[in-house]
Amino acid sequence: MLIGKVTKGLAVAAALSAAGWTDALAQEGTLKFGLCFDLSKSYTFVSPQVAQAAQDLAALTNIKGGIEGHKVEIVVQDHGNEPQRGIECYERLKRDGVFVFDMLSTPVSIAVLPRIMKDKNILMQSSVGRGDAVDGSVFTQIFPVGATYWGQAANDIAYIKQQRSGDLKGAKIGFIYLDYPFGQEPIGVLKTLAEREGFELKLYPVPLPGSDQTSAWTQVRRDRPDFMISWLLAGGHVVAAKEMKRNGYQIEKYISVNWLNEVDIANIGPDVAKGIKRGTNVVGGQDVPIIKEIMAELYAKGKGSGPEKNLKDVYYNLGLANYSVAFQAARNAVKQAGWPVTAASMKVGYESLKDFDANGLLAPVTVTAQDHGGGGKTRIEMWDGQKWVPQTGWLADYQDLIWQIVKTSSSGFKAE
Amino acid sequence: MDIAYVSELAVNGALTGLLYSLFALGLVLIYKSSSVPNLAQGALTMLAAYVVLALSRQLGFPLWLAIAVTTIIMFLAGFGVEKVTLRRMAGRPIVMILMMTLGLDIFIRGSTLAVWGGTSRSMELGVSYDPLFLGPLLLSRINLAGACVAIALFVAFLLFFRTRRGIRLRAISDDYVASWSIGISVEHGVALSWGMASVVAVASAVIWGEIQGVDQSLSQLLLKGLTVAVLGGLDSIVGAILAGIVLGVIENVGSSYLDLVVGGGSRDLIVAAVLIFTVMLRPHGLFGRHDIERV
Repeated sequence: MLIGKVTKGLAVAAALSAAGWTDALAQEGTLKFGLCFDLSKSYTFVSPQVAQAAQDLAALTNIKGGIEGHKVEIVVQDHGNEPQRGIECYERLKRDGVFVFDMLSTPVSIAVLPRIMKDKNILMQSSVGRGDAVDGSVFTQIFPVGATYWGQAANDIAYIKQQRSGDLKGAKIGFIYLDYPFGQEPIGVLKTLAEREGFELKLYPVPLPGSDQTSAWTQVRRDRPDFMISWLLAGGHVVAAKEMKRNGYQIEKYISVNWLNEVDIANIGPDVAKGIKRGTNVVGGQDVPIIKEIMAELYAKGKGSGPEKNLKDVYYNLGLANYSVAFQAARNAVKQAGWPVTAASMKVGYESLKDFDANGLLAPVTVTAQDHGGGGKTRIEMWDGQKWVPQTGWLADYQDLIWQIVKTSSSGFKAE
Repeated sequence: MDIAYVSELAVNGALTGLLYSLFALGLVLIYKSSSVPNLAQGALTMLAAYVVLALSRQLGFPLWLAIAVTTIIMFLAGFGVEKVTLRRMAGRPIVMILMMTLGLDIFIRGSTLAVWGGTSRSMELGVSYDPLFLGPLLLSRINLAGACVAIALFVAFLLFFRTRRGIRLRAISDDYVASWSIGISVEHGVALSWGMASVVAVASAVIWGEIQGVDQSLSQLLLKGLTVAVLGGLDSIVGAILAGIVLGVIENVGSSYLDLVVGGGSRDLIVAAVLIFTVMLRPHGLFGRHDIERV
């Protein structure tokens, strides 16, 4: 049904376009964002919520006078997580005057990255794509605002260190992960931190799609790690929760990657999930000013862009966060270089963001020409049975190590 | 070597393997009557899980009733799929029929995604996940329950193939031209096997849906199920049972040791190796019929 609503939205957009409405806006001056998303395959657990958030934020922004007086438009198309279709989408929208893109897919982001760099357009790449793209000195046109998986894993270790009164010596930390590049990415940083901090790292690979975890948790029961860091996705967390119960492992010691949402909590069971933790760079829940405003201005008046229940999903918050940052970058661009916004002024707008948190929606980000990640802050939240409760402030630890990894990796791209 | 540890891995592997067998049973039923490996069996399983949830969550049926109604719906759906799409393929090259089942797989996956989206849902059978120890071995209750369902269905189908109708299906499996010539309705027999395979898909969907949640990944059970069916012999129900147990044990025990050596990822390698070596060394599987044809 989610796909249906998004498709319906696209149909309406197409109809409006045919009626010349968008042409009229273009004459007035409209800033377009191109969302080439996977609306039909692997990323459908997150893409409808992010697309809906972007459309809602654009609608709210336009109601309030747009970006410095100019309308903003969200153009959504499906690439089905296929790089070739992503490239086609990019080229098509580029011809239509779009220069800010979001692919919300690692393989597609990687595929279009060289073209974006060559064309000097802008790629929003939060939560997906190459981790080393935070290196703004190399990836000048790419803005993966938020934490890399390396930074997120390091911040998890920092949290565990806090829990152990600042000493990780003798601790045993387990890492359960989907055994493909997404899950394997933090292993290097965790091994380095294990050497630096003196803890024992235990690795528990799980084959895709994450449903078969029996032998991994049998091993966990024998090893008894003090904490488990998890790089699983969606249903994988649900299976892990069942295995934790079966093996007598406390769910309170389970720290998930940011990909754990309210749907997963409902599937685990809100009470059973009590105590589970996740690392995140966006605030969970609806007690956020911008969400309250969207509910009052859009959903209460029947003008929402999709199902209202999506507003209770942290991936909606993630979408709002990504587009709040992008819209703020556009505002900065207009203020500094005037209208129309260009890719060059948008880049400057991004690189002028300082301690921006969208009024409490996300970790404060400061983007510079060198750091396109905005500082890499995350925090640990815990599910208390009804809502997410922050366990830490915003953390960005071990930055020396993270940037060492980033530079090593990005230098490889530079050499290509 | 820690005997208790290996034993636990082996027992849990065997239970999981029986669940693979349950899935593979659907493949075997269709192959027995039409000599077609049904590549849409994973998608049918996923569809059955979504229908159960739609009936119980959206229409408010009690779960047991939703499962019962889904069984009827899926039986009719399987029957209908054969009648509408596959019957007209009679006499065509086997590869075209295979492609038809692949097309069905893509169609069902695409349709379920459009209707129900990509987010995972839980089956909520109410099975306890409290620890269950058999001596020193920790067992999974849901896998145990699933294995019991699998064995019950195997026995039921073994008995069915001894009935009059079952013997007709076996005759079709042996030689459909000869079956035709003595008045057996081959079309009806093949459609019946599709219906039965769809009923098996419901059992598999409910158990696997409880274990891993209901989403598109349920359709990926095809790889394991196909490996079990090939290893057991594509037309052998007993073979499917034993092959499932063998694959489950090898996979669970083997990967626990191999992962330490190769750094992970060995589980899928083991499954692939079993499939490749079976096809190379014993293409008719452990218990499949080895036809010798004059060329």
